[in-house]
Amino acid sequence: MKVRFWGVRGAIPAPGPETNRYGGNTSCVSVTGARGQLLILDMGTGVVGLGKQLMTGEMGRGRGRAAVLLSHAHWDHIQGFPFFPPVFVAGNQFELHGNAHSSDMLEGILEGQMNPHFSPIYTLRNLGAAISFTAALPGAVHDFEGIRVSARPNPHGHTSALAYRLEEDGSSLVYASDAGYPPEGPSREILDLYAGADLLIHDSTYTPADRATRLERGNSSYAEAAAAAASAGARHLALFHYDQDYGDDTVDEMTRACRAELDRRGGRDIRLTAAAEGLEIDV
Amino acid sequence: MDLAYFRVLASRLRMRARFWGVRGSIAVPGPTTNRYGGNTSCVEIAADGMAPIIIDAGTGIRRLGQALAGGAFGSGRGVAHLLISHTHWDHIQGLPFFAPLYTRGNRLHVYARRRDTHLRAVFASQTESPYFPVPLDEMRADVTFHELGDRQQFAIGPAEVRCTRLNHPWIALAYRVELDGRAVVYASDTAPFRDILFEHEFIGQPPEPSAPLDPAKAAALAEMRRALVELCRGAALLIYDTQFTREEYRQKPHWGHSTPDDAIAIAREAEVGALVLYHHAPDRTDDQQDAIVRECRAALAGDRLALYAAREGLELTVGDGGVVASGEAEA
Repeated sequence: MKVRFWGVRGAIPAPGPETNRYGGNTSCVSVTGARGQLLILDMGTGVVGLGKQLMTGEMGRGRGRAAVLLSHAHWDHIQGFPFFPPVFVAGNQFELHGNAHSSDMLEGILEGQMNPHFSPIYTLRNLGAAISFTAALPGAVHDFEGIRVSARPNPHGHTSALAYRLEEDGSSLVYASDAGYPPEGPSREILDLYAGADLLIHDSTYTPADRATRLERGNSSYAEAAAAAASAGARHLALFHYDQDYGDDTVDEMTRACRAELDRRGGRDIRLTAAAEGLEIDV
Repeated sequence: MDLAYFRVLASRLRMRARFWGVRGSIAVPGPTTNRYGGNTSCVEIAADGMAPIIIDAGTGIRRLGQALAGGAFGSGRGVAHLLISHTHWDHIQGLPFFAPLYTRGNRLHVYARRRDTHLRAVFASQTESPYFPVPLDEMRADVTFHELGDRQQFAIGPAEVRCTRLNHPWIALAYRVELDGRAVVYASDTAPFRDILFEHEFIGQPPEPSAPLDPAKAAALAEMRRALVELCRGAALLIYDTQFTREEYRQKPHWGHSTPDDAIAIAREAEVGALVLYHHAPDRTDDQQDAIVRECRAALAGDRLALYAAREGLELTVGDGGVVASGEAEA
């Protein structure tokens, strides 16, 4: 599987020279399988760049297919959807999975985003592509063209966000954005989902000091990301979902500190990467 | 010399327009937007002794909120007025990230066009579950909503504010803020007033180029334009939606945005002092925007109309000597 980061920021896009290196777009990661299957993890503003690239291929001719896996529906994870060019092309097919009690409710959440008060699209029915909506059930395994997808909820403030595990031909990656663990750390079920992942993309919104003053927001510090990676025996940790007020230099410092944290926790063999727009990782 | 005359002059308040977000549609971070900025629409109008008047709450309002939190808003003694052109995402998406909302004691007055749904309900749905973690009712500042008609006049402290409707899907308002005889007009978002009349219907396709416009619609557009020119009349500064190039407008007349040509025509008719190109297309790079400014300035050579392109950090001061630019280095 080939992973590419299109948006690595949390909360709200953060344009400006101070975010040029890691990027200011909100959360979006693409995963391309061995047979060209495409999965899109979250649709923050980063998905616009992905969409432009896709329009040069099958999606531009209305013959594209993709699965979209939404961790949750906070704006920074869906706000790119109305600006994702392939959804306007008839013939393209999307199966959208997300965190909701029912598939109808998931559709309703995205319909609300297109409401004419807020969007010139007025309704999902004005999008040209065919889109199906499926509530992702915790623990259930879904097969998308040979990629096995399973999900578990993480606590995230007053709500929850799904973490996804993707497996293909013995390789595995986990996407765990917006994880606000209790003081005792991740649950057994979550560690099972992360277990032995070849790549763990993990919420690293805060420094430990900022995390301590913003507990109610339900996001991790890089130290919690390191602890989760070490506990789960992940082979490679990617820091992700940086606070909108952190410039590139702060992310550099967080990455250095996270390396020390991994080493201290017995994770000396765990590779560490700070996610940045345009970065690709082969899993 | 009559000294009293100079005292009167000196007492006229200078108005400052500062740009915090200049982009349309969606925020566009990245090196190609560093100079003009990638944040969506937000302009601050300030004058000594006046509560700040903010127009639109795109992502640019986040930084404005941080700046305001350094003053009275940090200790819960701030009052601000927010004029909303319309509630499309790029004009409101920064509001939940406006720091003064989270400090008890601050007061925010929000003004927008009356809708079929009460304004508070429209704004509350932006921050309800599952879209945002903090509901509007739990924000600590006191937020009051003021519903406006298509043409209305009201006072904000010493400033007089007028609005008129624009030609945009689901309808937007233009605002004139006048203080001591000097005026700043904000007209975004709007299509020109010739090809499509936007109301509340979804328009999914551009009209046939040769199709004649329904006479009633043409008359409504002419009247809308006349009222806008009247709103702009004699303003020192006109901030105008110029998202499209001519070619982009030809392809997307049904998106509800104008070109610099449309803005220049309105500015000349209304005899404004300076025009500010605004609401730049998300795909527009800094270099492309530079080229648009060069072309406009060349077309205006010898004209009394001054022209600026909005960029984050730009501050335009309206004073006795006309409009003076400051802020970050000229792009």
